[in-house]
Amino acid sequence: MTNTFIALAVPALLLLSAIFILLFGFSSYYSKNRGYYITLVTLFITFCISVNGVGDIHSAEVFPHIFNAMVVYDTFSATFISLFLLGGFLSLAIAKSFIDKTNFFVPESFVLFLFSLFGMVVLTMANELLTAFIALEIASMAVYVLVGLNRESLKASEAFFKYLLLGSFSASFYLLGMMLIYAQVKSTNLNVIAEYILNNDLNSQLLIVAGSMLIMITIMFKIAAVPFGAWVLDVYEGASLPITAYMAAVFKISVFAFIIRMFLTNNDFVQLVFDPLIILGAVITMIGGSLLAVIQSSVKKMLAASSVVHSGYMMIALASIEDIDSSASSAIIFYLFSYFISAIGAFGVLSYISKGTDKLISFDDLNGLGKNSPIIAVSLTIFMLSLAGFPSTIGFIGKFYIFTSAIESGYTPLALFGAITAFISIYYYFKVIVHLYFKESTDVKVQYGYKVSLAFIMISAFIVLWGGVGTSLIFNIPGINALNELSKYAIQSLVF
Amino acid sequence: MLKAYMILSIILFSIGVIGLISRRNIIVIYMSIELLLNAVNLSLIAISGDIGNASGHVMSLMIIAIAASEAALFMSLFVVLFRKKGSLDANIFDILGNKDD
Repeated sequence: MTNTFIALAVPALLLLSAIFILLFGFSSYYSKNRGYYITLVTLFITFCISVNGVGDIHSAEVFPHIFNAMVVYDTFSATFISLFLLGGFLSLAIAKSFIDKTNFFVPESFVLFLFSLFGMVVLTMANELLTAFIALEIASMAVYVLVGLNRESLKASEAFFKYLLLGSFSASFYLLGMMLIYAQVKSTNLNVIAEYILNNDLNSQLLIVAGSMLIMITIMFKIAAVPFGAWVLDVYEGASLPITAYMAAVFKISVFAFIIRMFLTNNDFVQLVFDPLIILGAVITMIGGSLLAVIQSSVKKMLAASSVVHSGYMMIALASIEDIDSSASSAIIFYLFSYFISAIGAFGVLSYISKGTDKLISFDDLNGLGKNSPIIAVSLTIFMLSLAGFPSTIGFIGKFYIFTSAIESGYTPLALFGAITAFISIYYYFKVIVHLYFKESTDVKVQYGYKVSLAFIMISAFIVLWGGVGTSLIFNIPGINALNELSKYAIQSLVF
Repeated sequence: MLKAYMILSIILFSIGVIGLISRRNIIVIYMSIELLLNAVNLSLIAISGDIGNASGHVMSLMIIAIAASEAALFMSLFVVLFRKKGSLDANIFDILGNKDD
């Protein structure tokens, strides 16, 4: 398969199957289940297509005459596209029990899933500010509606209101920044901007500095960094659990994909202007997220708050990127993968044991789960250990890479601070484990059913463990070294 | 001439931000967001004419399309919220974040 074919086939297939479900969703033949299976099959096929682009270094503009060099397909985008499709597949597959037991998932809700994935796929391939903005808006508009999918629930409607309002407010800052950059550079292509910055004196680039600050506001909003992330707890609380998993894992890494591409094409400029700001942002994000996570009484809100802390860790890696070859740039991709698989698993377990109700699962609801349903409890424990960064899980390796790369780049206090935050995070992650195993409960054994959802939860748990201990030397299954290799390829393709 | 357009655009943007922060009716808040987008549109068109580069015009067309799809989302939001409580006052939608659960 040629690379151009992959770059076209993946978004086209996503769109086509979305339109197919839209056209036939109203006929009585296409029930909710058929929409669900069409979506799953589409995600599986597109994932199989897109992994062909991973593994060797390549980079090419897709039809430069038609798209005017706005879309680039390289190993970087191929890696992230495969990640999104895998994430969409896993979060939908785990959510099977939730979707069956609730009545607000209509065939059209899967269309929104596909549209948001389409937006993310284009976002990683975008090499131009406006294309990236349109892709980001396609993805976030679909997610806005997914948040408010449960029209019966007042909480979901309010979360929809809050997210839509703040999201469109922050999006206008992106446009303002893009306008300022366009006023100075006369182009919005990332490569042209990078060239302009290199060839001109920094003092004459005030509009670019101001514009990129404004763009950073939107990006900080989308990744829920602390001063701009006030929405995150409320929206994650209001949205139903599969959607929360999807937002926390997949949507967040798509924004990181664009931010990494933008940073690495303008590396010297970013280091000069943004590094102090990102360091400050990382520190307050980690403090604020930890404070929020410690005081929560429900597991879902605790996970939501801890996803803010994880944004903080990734900002450490962003700040310590010195150039393409520095280990920080591949560390961040590794960390994104490790966070993504653990978060999908953790939220997936919650949606599995919530059995379709929209009540918040408090810590006490987990009491006795270790005795009554050991497999679920063990999986949840693995995800919690990985999120906390416990050795022999993928989360530990991710944190290890991030902190060592920060030390390599000379940000030892930042790495130390990250380690302290990881210590604090052990309190709220291990609280879950304590409730699973060491609290007495009078509940009788509950039957959850849906072995398929459980199987995918176990697969995610296995990936988390294998990513922490496995290497390709054993049974030839790709492990830590393969993941590390892949993220290095992805980064190197940006300057290919 | 560009200066005058930019000043107007900044004034529009500021009115939008102030309206978004201070008004309570959700429809007025939505109108403020439209004002933000249109302020950017205006300055894009002015800059594009000033530097003789047509891509600014195209961008403003794209932004109009995005604003239209945002309008569709807000319309559905109005309907959903009005059915819940019979009012579009932003202050009465406050159950999220309450610590009763």
